[in-house]
Amino acid sequence: MGWKFDQPLYCLSDEQEQKETLELWEKQKFGGLSSGNNRLPFPLTFLIALIVMTAFLVTMPIWGQRPNAQIYTSFVAAMDDPQVQQLATPEEKIAYVTQQAMAQADGVLQGAIERHPLAWDDLLNIAPQIKELQASGSKYSLDNYNVVGDRIALANFEGNFVEGGHRERKQPWWDKGYTIDVFYVAYFMIAIVLITKQLPHFSRKPDMSNAK
Amino acid sequence: MLMKYLFAKNEEIPAGSATIFFGFSSIFWFVVGTGLGSFNAAKLAFPDWVTGTELFAFGHMRQVHVLAVILGWISMAFGMTMMYMTPALGNTKLWSEKLGLWTVFMWNVGLSLGLTLLWMGITSGREYSDLIWPIDLVVIFGVLLPLGINVWMTISHRKTQGIYITNWFFGACIFMLMIVFFVGNSPELFNLTGLTEAYLTFWFAHNVLGLWITPVAAAIAYYTIPKLTGNPLYSHRIGHLHFWSIIAFYSTPASHHLMSAPLPEWLKSFASVEGVLILIPAVAFVANILLTMKGKWSLFVENIETKFSITGVLLAIPLNMQGGFQQTRAINWYVHGTGWIVAHAHLALLGMSSFLEAAAVYFGLQQMLRRKLYSLTLANLHYWFFIIGFCTYWISMTIAGLMQGAGKIYEVPYIDVVVAEHPYMIARWAGGTMVFTGNVIWLYNMWMTAREGTIVPSGRYAHELAYER
Repeated sequence: MGWKFDQPLYCLSDEQEQKETLELWEKQKFGGLSSGNNRLPFPLTFLIALIVMTAFLVTMPIWGQRPNAQIYTSFVAAMDDPQVQQLATPEEKIAYVTQQAMAQADGVLQGAIERHPLAWDDLLNIAPQIKELQASGSKYSLDNYNVVGDRIALANFEGNFVEGGHRERKQPWWDKGYTIDVFYVAYFMIAIVLITKQLPHFSRKPDMSNAK
Repeated sequence: MLMKYLFAKNEEIPAGSATIFFGFSSIFWFVVGTGLGSFNAAKLAFPDWVTGTELFAFGHMRQVHVLAVILGWISMAFGMTMMYMTPALGNTKLWSEKLGLWTVFMWNVGLSLGLTLLWMGITSGREYSDLIWPIDLVVIFGVLLPLGINVWMTISHRKTQGIYITNWFFGACIFMLMIVFFVGNSPELFNLTGLTEAYLTFWFAHNVLGLWITPVAAAIAYYTIPKLTGNPLYSHRIGHLHFWSIIAFYSTPASHHLMSAPLPEWLKSFASVEGVLILIPAVAFVANILLTMKGKWSLFVENIETKFSITGVLLAIPLNMQGGFQQTRAINWYVHGTGWIVAHAHLALLGMSSFLEAAAVYFGLQQMLRRKLYSLTLANLHYWFFIIGFCTYWISMTIAGLMQGAGKIYEVPYIDVVVAEHPYMIARWAGGTMVFTGNVIWLYNMWMTAREGTIVPSGRYAHELAYER
């Protein structure tokens, strides 16, 4: 097998090998079948690049995450407001508390509150646990704790190391799964380029006029 | 006749015998599998249908339907195509017709035994790998190994210098399926439990689809479409992209079936990216086949085998769009555990894959029997029953799945969701029953083809004579 590297993105085979391959394709019929030497149409090459980018962007754990205790600290602070106590129904109470929390929140937190609405009874269940955590001086901040039904639990994520020598328990936006993917995809692309560029350049078509 | 040939000398067995027995077995199991599917769907549509008997309970019948279709219809149709395409593509004959016949015999016996045990409730209890381990070993050593030996030896005895793309897939996929069967069933063989068992169960389920059903179905299209159109395959180099991206990206994302399970998050992230990258082989395959059709699109209307093949290829587009994205965290959260997934599984097995195999079985049986199709009208009727029935099933289950997802997220009482989706369960049953009816027509048509079909003259293809009287 002859390799040439003067134009690696054009063809990696030398002239003689390209000629022999094309002659073989023209001569050889697989039960009457033969193959062309066309390239992947350019829009589809672009589509494949788009797929690779999309694969990373669409899978990042930005969406579909569990709610964490941090989201509801302003709910807990607002729930003891005398105005809340005067409201008659649980629906009115939670609507008021949510409105108060949204008013104080930044854009990111507002989005989180919208994605994870809370009923008044749920708030009554989790509020004592959030207060207890706030009072405990835990080495983990509240956003390391997930709200799982009526419980507040330390999340089981293995995030980055933080000051104090322990790992964050928040879901990181990037983890070693993505790092492995970057290398995996890169190695695949290199391998597939080496394989396909060994073939005669796509501008050289086998003469299929005698194909049976 | 099968018993006679099983003990005959290899050279005394007519060429194509293994193909014919595989072909008829596959259609028979398709009738059985879809018949069971129709029966099971009736239980969901009409809850009072056949109650009080444990053997006919949904929990007993469901996995019999699933495995009759996967191991009976789909895999036997693959066996059939391998028996005639592999030698044809090497300009040689099948390495051993006798081994082929023993394979089809062992396959039918092993499958009948396995399905009977499942029906009686003797099961490993794991979805898709439901068969108990002795039957798994029969599948590996009594079915896949002999099939593999025949295919690999035929390829090694080829009279061509190169190997055509279809045979790359055939040779590689049998090998990979053996690995998948052994590793995927290891929880039962080695008593692995808990998360390991869950992961390996879906490693098996994912790879049976990804390294067997879809790639072999695609490999079949690489044969049928150039054969039927007379065009060269559009691109050998795109074939490389398809083959190697299947190996790289389809073998890795098993944990995307368990996005809500307590697997390591990094493993889910890795698998989820790979899950989207499944679109790369899909783009390569669909582009290669559709571009091969250039100048011959009239065959999509005129030729029954092309009609089935191209329908299968077109169904690969929504299949991979769904498959690529439904496993991401954001969407999986909504559709996991709903009828959407059931619809998607049928899009893969009953849609993309089955249409491609049906084309190859139509083509191969006529070719090996050297007889023209008994009735083109019945074949067209089969096609329309199949496509309308499938679409009815797929669309109704997709809608039902979205309703179930909404019910799950918004905590709608379960019984309210059951009531709301009832019309779609009836549509599901009607669609599945149409497919079953079409398959009964197909079995009759092929049986009559074998008995009364017009003999095809030497040097001609049956499909070339389809409209000649």
